[in-house]
Amino acid sequence: MDYASRMERLTARKIEQTRAKLDKLGARDEDDYGLVLPPASFKVDLPVRDATGQWSGPRAWAANFRWLMENHPCYIDPDDAIAGRWMFMLSRMRLGYQLSRSNFAFDYSHLEPLQKKYDITTGIGKDAHFAPDYQIGLDLGWGGLLEKVRAARRKHSAPTALSVLPQGRAQGAALADPYAVELLDAEEQAILGVMAWTRRLAAAADDRAMSEDDPGRRANLEEMARVCYKIAEAPPETMREVVQWLAIFNMASRTYNRDGAGGQLDELLRPYYERDKAAGILNDDDAEFYVFCLLLNDPHYYQIGGPSADGHDQTSPLSYIILEAAGKLKASCNLTIRVWDGMDRRLFRRGVEILLANRQGCPRFSGDKALVEGFMHSGYSAELARRRIAVGCNWMSLPGLEYTLNDVVKINIAKVFEVAFAESSSLEELEANYLKHFRAAVDVTARGIDFHLAHQYLNEPELLLNLLSHGPIEKGMDVSHGGATYYNMAIDGAGLAVVADSFGAIEERVVKEKALSFAELKAAVAANFAGEDGARIRALVESAGHYGAGGTAADRWAVRLTEILNAEIAGRTTPDGFKLIPGWFTWADTLRFGKAVGATPNGRLAGEPISHGANPLPGFRKDGALTAMAAAIASVQPGYGNTAPWQLEVDIGLANDADAVEKVMALIEGHFALGGTLVNINVVDAGKILEAHKDPSKYPDLVVRVTGFTAYFNSLSPAFRQLVVKRLIKEAV
Amino acid sequence: MDGLVFDIKRGVTKDGPGLRTSVFLKGCPLRCAWCHNPESQSPLPQRATTGEVCGKQMSVDDVMAEVRRDAVFYKASGGGLTITGGEPLAQPEFAAALAAAAAGEGIHVAIDTSGFAQWKTLEQLLPSVSLWLFDLKCMDAAKHRELTGVDNAQILDNLMRLDAAGARLWIRCPLAPGLNDTDADLAALRGFIAGLRNIEKTEICPYHSLGLEKYAKFGMEPRYSRREGASDEDKARWEALLFPEKASRNI
Repeated sequence: MDYASRMERLTARKIEQTRAKLDKLGARDEDDYGLVLPPASFKVDLPVRDATGQWSGPRAWAANFRWLMENHPCYIDPDDAIAGRWMFMLSRMRLGYQLSRSNFAFDYSHLEPLQKKYDITTGIGKDAHFAPDYQIGLDLGWGGLLEKVRAARRKHSAPTALSVLPQGRAQGAALADPYAVELLDAEEQAILGVMAWTRRLAAAADDRAMSEDDPGRRANLEEMARVCYKIAEAPPETMREVVQWLAIFNMASRTYNRDGAGGQLDELLRPYYERDKAAGILNDDDAEFYVFCLLLNDPHYYQIGGPSADGHDQTSPLSYIILEAAGKLKASCNLTIRVWDGMDRRLFRRGVEILLANRQGCPRFSGDKALVEGFMHSGYSAELARRRIAVGCNWMSLPGLEYTLNDVVKINIAKVFEVAFAESSSLEELEANYLKHFRAAVDVTARGIDFHLAHQYLNEPELLLNLLSHGPIEKGMDVSHGGATYYNMAIDGAGLAVVADSFGAIEERVVKEKALSFAELKAAVAANFAGEDGARIRALVESAGHYGAGGTAADRWAVRLTEILNAEIAGRTTPDGFKLIPGWFTWADTLRFGKAVGATPNGRLAGEPISHGANPLPGFRKDGALTAMAAAIASVQPGYGNTAPWQLEVDIGLANDADAVEKVMALIEGHFALGGTLVNINVVDAGKILEAHKDPSKYPDLVVRVTGFTAYFNSLSPAFRQLVVKRLIKEAV
Repeated sequence: MDGLVFDIKRGVTKDGPGLRTSVFLKGCPLRCAWCHNPESQSPLPQRATTGEVCGKQMSVDDVMAEVRRDAVFYKASGGGLTITGGEPLAQPEFAAALAAAAAGEGIHVAIDTSGFAQWKTLEQLLPSVSLWLFDLKCMDAAKHRELTGVDNAQILDNLMRLDAAGARLWIRCPLAPGLNDTDADLAALRGFIAGLRNIEKTEICPYHSLGLEKYAKFGMEPRYSRREGASDEDKARWEALLFPEKASRNI
């Protein structure tokens, strides 16, 4: 059983599974997640649901999760090094679930009018989106975690237990802490569920081994079974055991609530790799295959390279093994290389080479300098800033230390602008009104964050991520409610280019050139640029200088909008005292945000998508210059440790250039030198994408980086595919 | 010092090493049959049928403000400024002032030229230009005149002088099927290039028909209106004739 043919078979099955998901679930503008469909006969029959199909609180979540784990189908592939695939998202099984609006057991209708007015994605009831510290689990194993939980429960059920709310008030002094007890009981149930599933996977591998004729596969299945039996309780000790352990945690955490944060993978695996190599039980091909299987199992976000907490380069032979494994994976993969001054440049170069050769949007790159300086701006040490790594779509997190609501709290500034524009009759007035409404939007967003932090522990505790965080188990407090060490609540602005271009067009055409009056423009926008006059005005505003062109009014407005974002968010806290950190990011929500906003003065029609992240709009310059884009996006970095990613599409023409690797490296490094934080990057064959857009079945293996995540192109909805096509074709050189 | 500029492209990957900003100066004394930038020929601003005006007076400072925007990318990639056209040497003072300004700021300067200018124009650029992208179109004098409207004697003389002066040179051969690509044409090009000492690189610029739309847009008539670009066979043949060493290596 050679690894190359196993990888080939595993990849082919992955493509079949993706097709089956598409047939059954339809197009989804989301991450691939690595989940597979359950057998058709499998019925989910959760034990706890009320009459409206809801449940909440630790006990209910634990019961449902344990049921799922105890009944979860056991997927075994004799070619795989890892047992299991995940199939369900418990957090989406509550009736009426929407991606943009989570079920929440507590009424926040008092906030809703303003949230709707500014089209705010509130984050209320949102889960995960912060990083676990896998090391806790790798050191303890499930058995050790169970003991830790039981010990904490004993402590918290004693009548002297004290717990302290994040606001500093003591609660339940001299009494047992009933919430801690319920939470820790729930944690115990969750662990028992995972242990049961792991043992069932072991048994399934054993069963499968017995019916397997091929001796190589049989040996693999027997080893798979042995590993699962062992790590169901004991901590992992070998490379193969550790990848299985990570996969089990990942799959369990996905099943619980879609959590996809990974960690610093090279450093996590290194001790096991070095030990196995020294013991002569592992070679680099084995290690690469194990990592390949881990990456195939689930597209969790991992970082490699970058500085350690004390500032030395973490690049190791394992960083290369992980990168090569990712290079061999013809599937969705979210690996980030941290680019920094003290780095091993060969790792960076190899990453770009793989990116250009594979054209699957992997790896991507984060900029250490601005991230570290930014997080220090937010009041943290350099050491902590270096430990805050790329483990999400657009986000960094301190593994096991931080609760953030990353990437789930967004203010649609195109909507804020719309409200302000309707009340204004001059550019000065518009700026003042924008400021006023943005402030109000931030205010209601911050109150929403407080509401979430005050109630989420009762709504949906983080039963899986609590286990791998420092604090929640010890304190008997959910990570969303005092359990975490740090609270850095993310608020991202969305729609930057639409608003910058709108302000820019007004400044150029109305104020400077007086080519039309504010009132005329307002009337045309209100009429969605209808009629001949509307079309003329639209052509006029559309041809004004765009954000991204360099030196335009819109460029200056983009910087101004970032100043406003920072002034209202950075260095501020919510009313309850939680720190806020700004970013620019839309995720894959450009369509949804766009639907909420009427026509805008940049010539955008009502309901059209808003701009992506910090990117300029397609057509921002005739030459589509990537350097111009890089410089523009660097100029709008908030600079407090969260990102404003550059979604970069590199045309295949450049990719075929003799010095393509150097040029792409220079683009990335130049962007980081100017203050950039994260580059989500695609190498594009525009022709192939156009063909795939017409007939998605033609290229079932075409993977694109949609935003922070990559996805099979054919799994995206036609409207979303159109958006990707537009971005690619216009922005490519 | 003002010049007539008809475009500034950033993030250019073709006109010299690294990531570059190409500044296009308007006006060209040549009338190459295959020209794909017909709007670059006239030394005056020109209105397209769509209404847009091609060509804008810009000062060296204006242009440098644009050029500076990508300084960080030049540094990271070994790129810089490319002054192109049109024929940049047709605005000799402006080209020299721009090249000197960029070089003065430590920016790598390349100039993309047909070589049709007085030697003193090239000579004054020598201190500030780090790389010459020099077009070599046809060795046969009569054919050169017919295809470009000008004699090639001065061009070849300039090229030899640059070579003798130790200038860093990339030769670019625009080749158009049926115009300047006979076996004899290519053998002559090859022979001439072989006699020069400082040629770092020779590139073929194959004919493409993307310029035809622009003729229509500016109400001009193309002399050579072939719809298809150079074929893969054409390109392979040119490569084999111009770079026989490379071709034999590939075999």
